[in-house]
Amino acid sequence: MNALHIPVEHITLANGLRVVAAPDRTAPIVTVGVYYQIGFRLEPRGRSGFAHLFEHMMFQGSENAGKMEHIRLINSSGGLLNGTTNYDITNYFESVPSNALERVLWLEADRMRALKVDDENLRNQRDVVKEEVRVNVMNQPYGGFPWLDLPPIAFRNWPNAHNFYGDFEDLDAATLEDVRSFFRTYYAPNNAVLLMVGDFEPATAFSLARRYFEAIPAGPPPPRADISEPPQAEERRGAVDEKFGTLPAIAIGYTMPPRESPDWYAAGVLDRVLHGGRAGRVYRRLVLEKQIAVEADGGADMLETNGPTQMVTRLFHKPEYSADDTIAAFDEVIEELHQKEIEPDELEPVKVKLRSDFYSMLEGGMGAYMPRFGLMHYLACFTLFDGDPNRVNTILDGFLAVTPAQAQAAAQKYFVLRNRAIVTRRPVAKGAAQ
Amino acid sequence: MSTAASNAPRVAPPPLAAESPVAWPRRTVRILANGLQVVLAESRTFPKISAQLFFRSGNAAVAHRSPGLAEMTATLVRLGTASRTSRQIEEDLRRMGANLGTSAGADTSAISVSGLAEFSSGILELIADLARNASFPFDELERERRHRIESLRIERTTPSFLAGERLRHVLFGEHPYAIVAPTEAQVEAYTREGLEDFYRHNYTPPNALLVMVGDFSSGSMLEQIEKTFGGWNAPAPAPALASAPPRYTGRRVYLVHLPGTVQTQVLAGNMAITRRDPGWFRLALANSIYGGAFHSRLVLNIREQKGYTYSPRSGANALRQHGYFSVHAAVRNEVAAATLTEIFYEMDRMRSLPVTPEELDSARSYMSGVFSLGVATHDGVLGQLSNVYLERLPEDYLETYRDKIRALTADDVLAAARRHFDSANAQIVLVGDRDQIAAQAALFGPVEIFDAHGNRI
Repeated sequence: MNALHIPVEHITLANGLRVVAAPDRTAPIVTVGVYYQIGFRLEPRGRSGFAHLFEHMMFQGSENAGKMEHIRLINSSGGLLNGTTNYDITNYFESVPSNALERVLWLEADRMRALKVDDENLRNQRDVVKEEVRVNVMNQPYGGFPWLDLPPIAFRNWPNAHNFYGDFEDLDAATLEDVRSFFRTYYAPNNAVLLMVGDFEPATAFSLARRYFEAIPAGPPPPRADISEPPQAEERRGAVDEKFGTLPAIAIGYTMPPRESPDWYAAGVLDRVLHGGRAGRVYRRLVLEKQIAVEADGGADMLETNGPTQMVTRLFHKPEYSADDTIAAFDEVIEELHQKEIEPDELEPVKVKLRSDFYSMLEGGMGAYMPRFGLMHYLACFTLFDGDPNRVNTILDGFLAVTPAQAQAAAQKYFVLRNRAIVTRRPVAKGAAQ
Repeated sequence: MSTAASNAPRVAPPPLAAESPVAWPRRTVRILANGLQVVLAESRTFPKISAQLFFRSGNAAVAHRSPGLAEMTATLVRLGTASRTSRQIEEDLRRMGANLGTSAGADTSAISVSGLAEFSSGILELIADLARNASFPFDELERERRHRIESLRIERTTPSFLAGERLRHVLFGEHPYAIVAPTEAQVEAYTREGLEDFYRHNYTPPNALLVMVGDFSSGSMLEQIEKTFGGWNAPAPAPALASAPPRYTGRRVYLVHLPGTVQTQVLAGNMAITRRDPGWFRLALANSIYGGAFHSRLVLNIREQKGYTYSPRSGANALRQHGYFSVHAAVRNEVAAATLTEIFYEMDRMRSLPVTPEELDSARSYMSGVFSLGVATHDGVLGQLSNVYLERLPEDYLETYRDKIRALTADDVLAAARRHFDSANAQIVLVGDRDQIAAQAALFGPVEIFDAHGNRI
């Protein structure tokens, strides 16, 4: 059972900013994050990739810290920083020696209050983002597989189905007025949560948070795009050319149950039964036993999404087997989940591993030099999506309580053709190897 | 948000508060009677342990006869022992909430496990079983052989892999560090006997270092380790001999032709020093000012001012016998030459002018602060301890690192740049479409062109 308890305190400022503190005295270090409840799923139509481009703009200067100064002030305090754009959130975070806590809060407050960018910054970052897309997607074997491939096949509603990294013409069309309007709409304190994890007294941390953030005016409640999906009647399939890689690849996605529903917990356990490394059923059957696939892995972004989300299995298979052979072998694995309850001697170890992995995520989650990133990340998601950061101390219980019968019922309901999408990546050339 | 120039006076950032001392976890260091070196550090915030059993032999030890053999040996080590099948190993791991990795680099082979602290004795027993009783099942070897060949084919379509492979060839010549991956034919030639032979000679206690970090008490953990590993006896391997890397003068360009690419992977480098060299600290500091950090000069120049690239970086790469300095950027094809010009401009600026006091101060704080961030995670502590004991650095390396960095001056940075940022003799690798970039390549020196397999074309 879960024996770990994370101390969590939280307040809400007058402007609606939620502030969460989790003291941890392991070392004189703090990890700080500001999470805004806006992700690429919610970006404006006709502006694909804008949420991510905007994330770059948040490093381009604010009223009291000009271009590069934000980065320089964090680095020269002995800290590291980054930001990421996700489906439903965009985050900005820093790990620093604890004596820099106040400076970090000042910097984050300055850009929440008064981002200051110009056309030159926008042109520059548009170029940088295009190179990011080239290096991560267009110039890599299996670039964007399957996170950019599957959504347009699996989903019908634009927020869930568009190119999250952005079409270049959409990036080119973005204007400074778009940046301004996006900032006004989504970057208000009432659409955000501030997280502090590490070596501090919570009372001191809260008082610093008030000092720097409380005067930032609240904005109108941001509009919430309709991200619901129309009912799916049959399996959906698509194909994408693989320009560099030499093996055919397949991704199979099942849309997960709604967040926090009983089936959601059961599906989360099933994900670990199927995937979860070399002991997982998919790897065992397709790679070790049948040897159709060379590589197999998968998973679901469950805790950090708040809308239609898929559990995705990735298979790289031998060219001498067809995609249909490979999918048929995978289908046998799914069929077994429908037909037969998971035995306790498989289910219990899966739960032990799930608990262990959860602890590791809380402890690190972003490499050895961003301590407690995962704890901060989950605290943010539980605050923004569920209204309760303390879910970090109870969320495991829901997964650990799943019974074999519940798991079987969830598999029968959710791991079905009318709830799945498949994309194949087909190598276009024999590749450089031949 | 405003976009117009504001007349309001800018507010200065709050000063840093008084610094708290950073304490690395107390460690217990022992050499057991069989020669196994053990390093333990307690870190009890989370109920987990991380352990790494290293052997001081890797692919460099066999590069002259069977490149990649150490790596394939490590792959097979997890796939069966005298008493456990591959499937049992994976199920045992899951039961203990554990992840296992087995790997080999140029200098080292490693068995790495992290899992729940409540299963620490089972985890230790599993590590010992893999280290002593691996059985190298024939069918597992055949499956992994195919896997390795398929992954090599994909690596040979990956620009960053091809660039790194070519630079190592160029810098190291006949030295074993020249080879970072085998050919398909070399993978075909691996035999079960060859793997067993590498295992028997190199996976031995006097060649090993066990580092553990996590939620345990060092006294009783040490007892368990003595019990689990005490009966293991085998001699240290004979040291492997290696020829000296070549000397090179003048810039040369090595173009790896990868048709259809929409970017050019730029990589330039030269020989430098190892971590054991007293000049390591000043090289590390100079690197962080040049291109090793987000706020460095190169990132400011070619990313934030010119928008040529997303993540340019430079680094000092330390292998056990030799080190090298390198700088890389993935850029759009039209600016490959312009990028190299800026890379060398920034090197020459570092070589000719002292850094400003503000830059120096900023970089020293960055280096010493970031070094300490790892003290809060098991992986950070384990990584730093492994460095110290694998490379046989001084016992007080972690405790004195910050002071050594803070004592460095602008003259130290200048000296490091002049010695190690060898712009005049840089060896340049470009991976991209030759039709797009060959003319740009020729601006920087004699050009040799290769295909993805290393054949001259």
